[in-house]
Amino acid sequence: MGVISRGIRNAFRNIIRTFSITFILALSIAMSLVMLLALKTVQAKIDSVKGSIGNTITVSPAGVRGFEGGGDLLTAADLSTIASVPNVTNAVSVMTDRMNTNQDTNLQSAIDPGTFGGRQRQRNGETVTPDNGSGGANRNGSTNVNRTFTMPITVTATSDLNSLASLSVGSFNITTGSKFDPSVDQNVALVGTDLAAKNNLSVGSTFKAYNTDVTVAGIFDTGNKFTNSAVVMPLKTVQRLSGQTDQFNSIIVQASSIDSLSSVQSAIKDKLGSKADVVSQQDTSNQAIAPLQNIKTISLYSLIGSVVAGSIIIFLTMLMIVRERRREIGVLKAIGSSNLKIVSQFTVESLALTVMSSAIGIILGFIFSNPVLKVLINNSEAGVANAAPGQGARGGGMFISRLGGGLNNARDALQNLHAVVGWEIILYGVLAAIAIAVIGSANPAFIIAKVRPAEVMRAE
Amino acid sequence: MLKVSNLTKKFQSGDHVVTAVNDISLSVPSGVFSTIIGKSGSGKSTLLSLLGALDKPTSGTISVDGQNVGTMGDSKLIRYRRDKIGFVFQNYNLIPNLSAIENVMLPMEFSGVGKNTRVERAKKLLEQVGITEDKQERRPGRLSGGEQQRVAIARALANKPKLILADEPTGNLDSATGKVIIDLLKKLAKTEDTTIVAVTHDNGIAAEAEITFTLKDGKLLK
Repeated sequence: MGVISRGIRNAFRNIIRTFSITFILALSIAMSLVMLLALKTVQAKIDSVKGSIGNTITVSPAGVRGFEGGGDLLTAADLSTIASVPNVTNAVSVMTDRMNTNQDTNLQSAIDPGTFGGRQRQRNGETVTPDNGSGGANRNGSTNVNRTFTMPITVTATSDLNSLASLSVGSFNITTGSKFDPSVDQNVALVGTDLAAKNNLSVGSTFKAYNTDVTVAGIFDTGNKFTNSAVVMPLKTVQRLSGQTDQFNSIIVQASSIDSLSSVQSAIKDKLGSKADVVSQQDTSNQAIAPLQNIKTISLYSLIGSVVAGSIIIFLTMLMIVRERRREIGVLKAIGSSNLKIVSQFTVESLALTVMSSAIGIILGFIFSNPVLKVLINNSEAGVANAAPGQGARGGGMFISRLGGGLNNARDALQNLHAVVGWEIILYGVLAAIAIAVIGSANPAFIIAKVRPAEVMRAE
Repeated sequence: MLKVSNLTKKFQSGDHVVTAVNDISLSVPSGVFSTIIGKSGSGKSTLLSLLGALDKPTSGTISVDGQNVGTMGDSKLIRYRRDKIGFVFQNYNLIPNLSAIENVMLPMEFSGVGKNTRVERAKKLLEQVGITEDKQERRPGRLSGGEQQRVAIARALANKPKLILADEPTGNLDSATGKVIIDLLKKLAKTEDTTIVAVTHDNGIAAEAEITFTLKDGKLLK
């Protein structure tokens, strides 16, 4: 029978008290673990959201919205200015235009305008003649919508074919042929796979664009129907053919990191002033991350509160136990025990209670980690729901949908938060329990040292 | 073996200074059962605390087996109590969640005695004080008052002390059981060659002792 076994046995002296304290402490430890888990899960998700949204800034002429809007095109001087901003690692200039069939090009769009396209035309003031084609109602109540117009074809000219952001796509795979050198002025193009199929184009074929014969250098696939019906050409070529030499309608800027995004955006805004709209996805990412930060803050404070509560519980428990056994401590001292042995015995008792509570607390933590996380998420989802997409983007609905897509990704990130309990968390739980036990035993140890063995000699 | 010279102990009680033990000198040879008798408040328990190094005197010296207790530091006092002194209390003061044999082994554990030796000696001591084997694994709550006091005596003898101090050892026992305990103490003083000093207010018990000291108001009466 040594100090350790006596300490462990003492923990079970009063079964009802032991059960009560163990249960309450287990709840405290469980809450600590749940909050720690939530903290780590949310932090990982924040890092993931930041990483997925990217460190790209779009600069476009002020007031531009797709192909409808004013503003003066950006120039080479603006590009130079932007490139000189600290923490800018890359600046890609982009010119986007629309070619109308039988006006600017002989290509037919691969996109069926459908009912929505017809309504959009009417909204623009064009008369839409009903035909005997497919169904759908127009604004005048007719059930048929004219399908005699074709969608314009988007042509994108970029200084960097490797910049997916400049192409407004998530992926860009050359299925046949090869990329051209975008810095060379040449009458070549890459054609989307749907557009190529619609117009029977293959590598080496030619088509008319801006009254010029353009040769197909390659066919690409973006995985998106809209961008698969587009054309990509060298920047200088499009500038020349469209009469907009040395001008761009957007510049895609890459910041060195997520953390420098904000400063880069501010610097560009300062330098370009009111002539340009400067938009980064950090605006939307901040809106999406805000609720995650809320959860993180709640988790952190709850974690601290739970650990403090656990420490207080065990501290008061041990204080109560030591006071109860003051006489026994005096007897132990009288029969030759040192203060260290007595303190060790009570520390073991405290540890026994805490370890038992930890075991139960870890199990409760396993069970409640995801339900609690769901409660935190539900209370924070309003922040994501109220987030609005950015304004002043270039290049039509594609970019705005990409912003909205980014926002949806963040919403998904919030909703798809799922706590994974690993061995690391269990280790934290055990270490926290030991720390709580040692802290809890500290003051009782002080009391033990103060007990005078002569107290046991007093007659009842 | 026990020699006390001009021992005094004073306490501060509010604005007053109380002299619990007043210039006491006495000596008790080895192997003797002695008693200190006096009424309540005469200073008996205080004197016992001083003799057992549970408290420090205001002045005077205490020598046990040649060792001057008054000059010892705290760690030496712990060793002194552990190795030289055995205590028997009025309320037995056994550890309630340890069995009889575990209670007896406790002082030996503090002295660093090996487990097998502890068990063997504890069994022998318990048998010596009349606790049979079937009762040795029982906890104090399942023993009678007399049996608990026997276990306490066995615990006091665990480290072969030179001095056993008993504070009203029969105070909570009936007269018959009390007599048995006193007879046991007398016998053990001889067999274990240890000095026993028992504090009591019972003249009948004092009559059983070889030497009796009478205390009144902290002073030793001649």
